[in-house]
Amino acid sequence: MSAEWPLKANTKAVGITIRDLEVVYSTGQGQVPAVNGVDLDIAGGQITGIIGESGSGKSTLAMAIMNAVPHPGRIVKGSVVVDGVGNMLTLDKESQRRARGRNLGFVFQAAQNSLNPLTRVGHQVLDLGRSHNVKDLRGLLRRAKELLHRMGMDADRVLTAYQHELSGGMRQRVGIMFALVLDAQVVILDEPTTALDMLSQASVLEIVRSIHEERDITTILITHDMGVVADLADRVVVMYGGELAEEGETAEVLAHPAHPYTKGLIQAIPRISGDLSQAVALSGSPPDLKTFMQSGCLFYDRCPERVAECQVKRPPYESAGPERKVACFRVMPHD
Amino acid sequence: MKNILVRLAKRIFAGIIMVLVMASFTFFLVRMMPGNPVSAKYNELIMRGMTPVQAMDEVRVMYGFIPHQPLWQQYLHYLVQILHLNLGTSISYEGVPVLHIILDAAPWTIILVTTGLIASFIVGVLAGVIAAVKRSSPTGNAITLSGSIMHGIPQFVMGLFLAYVFTTLWAILPFGAPYNAALTPGFNGPFISSLVRHAILPVATYALSSYGGWLLTMKSSVITVLGDDFILASEVRGIKAKTRVRYIAHNAILPLFTIFALSIGFMFGGSLFIEDIFDYPGLGNLLLHAIDARDYPLMSGAFLLITVAVIVANIFADFLYSVVDPRIRR
Repeated sequence: MSAEWPLKANTKAVGITIRDLEVVYSTGQGQVPAVNGVDLDIAGGQITGIIGESGSGKSTLAMAIMNAVPHPGRIVKGSVVVDGVGNMLTLDKESQRRARGRNLGFVFQAAQNSLNPLTRVGHQVLDLGRSHNVKDLRGLLRRAKELLHRMGMDADRVLTAYQHELSGGMRQRVGIMFALVLDAQVVILDEPTTALDMLSQASVLEIVRSIHEERDITTILITHDMGVVADLADRVVVMYGGELAEEGETAEVLAHPAHPYTKGLIQAIPRISGDLSQAVALSGSPPDLKTFMQSGCLFYDRCPERVAECQVKRPPYESAGPERKVACFRVMPHD
Repeated sequence: MKNILVRLAKRIFAGIIMVLVMASFTFFLVRMMPGNPVSAKYNELIMRGMTPVQAMDEVRVMYGFIPHQPLWQQYLHYLVQILHLNLGTSISYEGVPVLHIILDAAPWTIILVTTGLIASFIVGVLAGVIAAVKRSSPTGNAITLSGSIMHGIPQFVMGLFLAYVFTTLWAILPFGAPYNAALTPGFNGPFISSLVRHAILPVATYALSSYGGWLLTMKSSVITVLGDDFILASEVRGIKAKTRVRYIAHNAILPLFTIFALSIGFMFGGSLFIEDIFDYPGLGNLLLHAIDARDYPLMSGAFLLITVAVIVANIFADFLYSVVDPRIRR
């Protein structure tokens, strides 16, 4: 296998250090902080799952790592340092562009159409190669074919196809191919299985897992599905209202969730066997503009364990044991 | 490729049917017009002292059908004549076949409008891309504003304004007539340069007044494409700016092809105001004259030409689409 995927001699898993990152969206009602003061270390060579409900800022965080937050979003401050590349937020435009695609691969939501509808897939692989000054374009096509074949597709047919000739699951695998074909050391997957049926979902996840293991890359998996995280991720980061609520090793967090929001998320998963009523939906609604204005904890309105202090002060995001961080007053640090 | 040919053949067949339907419509329309021009002409000829047989022959030559015959017979006769490209004889230019008159006028309009159309399309589309990409900057706003203003000025105002500025205030260009009558028409330098100099103002009028439409349409089309997922995806994949602009332009220009092809079709209706102001003997002037003189054969001939042109342009647009957009190929 490893002969099929020649790894570079200097392969060293690439980590990402995010400090005090803040992204705001300008809306008619004012500035919504989509990502608010996030400090996060993404360990090289691991699969990090970032989980949260819609609007929690997880996708914005992913785009901010690429420094490609779409309008009307804007990165206000912070730094995103990618090992071997530098700070994505202060690099000059050309170096940023080279880093995207070459160092950082990005896989879009399956529901999105990430290919030019008027050009054949193979042609777009060549456009990618030319944009990144790949000398051996034939070799690049060969690699693309290998990847597609590896993901169980008829590579020749896919490369000569247009986007509308591919199914949703096929498009998603083509998207993964685009993220990997230039040997990116970091791959960010933004809800890669949303809009796929259960079987395609399983096969896409299996592909992500095996390619991650083969290539010793750093994988960031953005999802709202706790099951996906439990299945794949080494570490899990829970986001709520643009801030980090909790992080830790996946098994640890799932077994002993510390933040009430994490507990709620885990309880909300319906089991295949057993009564549906065992799954408890989180009460209340996701944070809105008013929530962001309040001085207390963002989760206060929905929290079953709240105390008076929570309404006054926002809990700091602190270490709560080895490799574990939580933002909650109810969790005694170092106990 | 074979599919495209089969498709094309189907479209051409449908086009022929449409032309026949429109021709029939024109036939019955002329017959239903108040005053019945056919029998009016017939009666007029008799009053001028012709025998009924002579008058009927005359009218048959003019309109391509015979009064007092059953309608269906007249109709069949008319269709057969059309298939032979016989559109009858003009009333106002007595004795001249309609087809001749139309073919004489057509080149003036075609040269005028095609040049103006292509110039305004290229400039308008390029300006539209810039206006869309720089839409939140002063440059972009200025370009958009120029488009809205040009789009809002009626052709005849634009024409009169240009004529005033460049032939009166600042007399650097000739006014009126398609070329200097003192020169011998033909393939010689002075004649061609006179032709070009006389064409500048009408072409500029046409181009300026259609520039705004292209600009605004292209701008909104580009903005739509800019919001598409694959553009963000190409940015995140680090695709070069030049390639991304190509992606955007290719996708954004598609909807404009239909409008462009239809404009080519409607060109055969002439550009009435421009031709009138600058004394251009094109199809617009011809149609105006035909209506003025109640020259029914000439009118129906001109309408038929417009019909055929629009239908052909539609087939062309459809064909072009299946070449440039893979989603339409089947």
